[in-house]
Amino acid sequence: MSDYLLEISHVSKYFQGLVAINDLSMKVKKGQIYGIIGPNGAGKTTLFNCITGIYRPEIGQILWKGKDIKGSHPHKIAELGILRTFQTIRLFSEMSVAENIMSGRHIKSKQRWYNGVIPTPAYYKDEKENWEKVGELMDFFHLSEYATTPAGDLSYGIQRRIEMARALAAEPELLILDEPAAGLNENETLELTQTIRKIQAMGVTIMMIEHDMEMVMSLCEYITVINFGAKISEGVPSFVQDDPVVIEAYIGSDEDDDDE
Amino acid sequence: MMNKTSLIAIALLVFMGFFPLFVDSAWLAVGTTFLVFAVVALSQDIILGRAGVFHMGHAVFFGLGAYTTAILNVNFGLPILATWAPAVLIPMLVAFIMVAPIIHLRGDYLLVATIGFNIIFIQVLENDVFGLTGGPNGLFGIDVVRLFGYDFSSQTHMYYMAFILLGLTLLIMRNLDKSKFGRAMFYIHKDEIAAQSMGINVRYFKLYAFILGAGIAGAAGSMFSVQYSAVSPEAFNVTQSIMFFTIVLVGGSASLPGVLIGTFIMFVLPEMFREFETARYLVFGIAMILTMILRPRGIWPVRFGNIPDFLKKGVK
Repeated sequence: MSDYLLEISHVSKYFQGLVAINDLSMKVKKGQIYGIIGPNGAGKTTLFNCITGIYRPEIGQILWKGKDIKGSHPHKIAELGILRTFQTIRLFSEMSVAENIMSGRHIKSKQRWYNGVIPTPAYYKDEKENWEKVGELMDFFHLSEYATTPAGDLSYGIQRRIEMARALAAEPELLILDEPAAGLNENETLELTQTIRKIQAMGVTIMMIEHDMEMVMSLCEYITVINFGAKISEGVPSFVQDDPVVIEAYIGSDEDDDDE
Repeated sequence: MMNKTSLIAIALLVFMGFFPLFVDSAWLAVGTTFLVFAVVALSQDIILGRAGVFHMGHAVFFGLGAYTTAILNVNFGLPILATWAPAVLIPMLVAFIMVAPIIHLRGDYLLVATIGFNIIFIQVLENDVFGLTGGPNGLFGIDVVRLFGYDFSSQTHMYYMAFILLGLTLLIMRNLDKSKFGRAMFYIHKDEIAAQSMGINVRYFKLYAFILGAGIAGAAGSMFSVQYSAVSPEAFNVTQSIMFFTIVLVGGSASLPGVLIGTFIMFVLPEMFREFETARYLVFGIAMILTMILRPRGIWPVRFGNIPDFLKKGVK
């Protein structure tokens, strides 16, 4: 087995002839916080969608612990331990916060097919264990007071925390965060930075797209910079920060950061 | 533990349990019909209200259950009790064969496909395939339930059998809602991409909803055929499917009281205003329109947040 948890090797993705990702390669080590930055429309979210199985890249390989997972169903990829959050928050907004987080326990739950109709002692045990785990996560993310509140009724910052709690509930090996700080105020961003460090300390590898440069530079151990779907630079934060190619890409583009 | 909803539920169950003591046989028949159709509507709700699949062919499964009992009893002389298991299993099997190839279709496309199945189903029944279905007239002379020398043939017997069936259905749905399976259906319904990304196999759980819903509808169909001692194709046509679909949306998707209210409005209210009986579709039509405008989530919308008490401690 290779030293890398995730290896993206010469991946290209086209949309009706348009190149969204162009021959992109990167390697993520276990335990790392890996940053992906680049101007809007550079293909960052497309890359995450390729990793998580929402898109199938036409060319290249996506190796998870040495095995190609390109084109697998999203649920298969989640089962492998790759969980994500979304740039545009995707919660089950009518459902309560606790129920939202419980969805992360789905792949860990050992309920059998007949437990949908008939409860068994093993079912009760499983159900209890999973709800307890949800309780722990609500404590960790300071969400306990909203346990029964519909997720959609809560503020943006809280919704981002619910999404992370939901992904963490699945006990991922790789957590993929798509602009976790978007829409957060300064305090919330600071809190998020600490939370991400704590998650890393649990042994979770993290990949993130983020426009908040301060946060990226302080958190990430390694960064890849993408522009027009292709890698223009990579390295440790101090290198990337001073790379003239990167500076040009950023100055040459509108830094207003909302949509891909 | 005792909240308002469970009190209402218990009061309703007690009322329905004693209902046959107060009414004449005509009303008893109405009551039985309500119970049977409530079971069908609830099973439609598993597919439509929980998994969120736009399924407008539910009368197929209801009809398969009814015809299975009718054919096995009338053509092959099997006692009704022996037809129960096939009347549940055959709709489940057909649901799997019929729906597995189309389950990936998006809402509106799948809706059209399920209507197509319903039309084919009626064609098959009317054309008396293999000489089993009795053609447009259907089959009659269906036996009653017999057990240990007793005949369960009175209206009261029918009522209580349907009552037990509804009770079982409600119990199943309660269990479903509190399991990984029911939750997975809700997650898929609310956001399919997010659900997939949490590791939920969308195809599997949609099929699960269909097969479970088909089995329950089949049981109701079997009961229906015994109640009327006859079956005919028009009881299972697309109009019936539209009715079940509408009951769920008007009553409240995924809401047990909502679906019961929807069934009540559709099948009991018209009986209470007999002189307006021809206007029953007019009344329901207006109710449908008004509900969708004023209460788009149904008369009694579903309430989420059904979580264990120990998690509610921090709630202010």
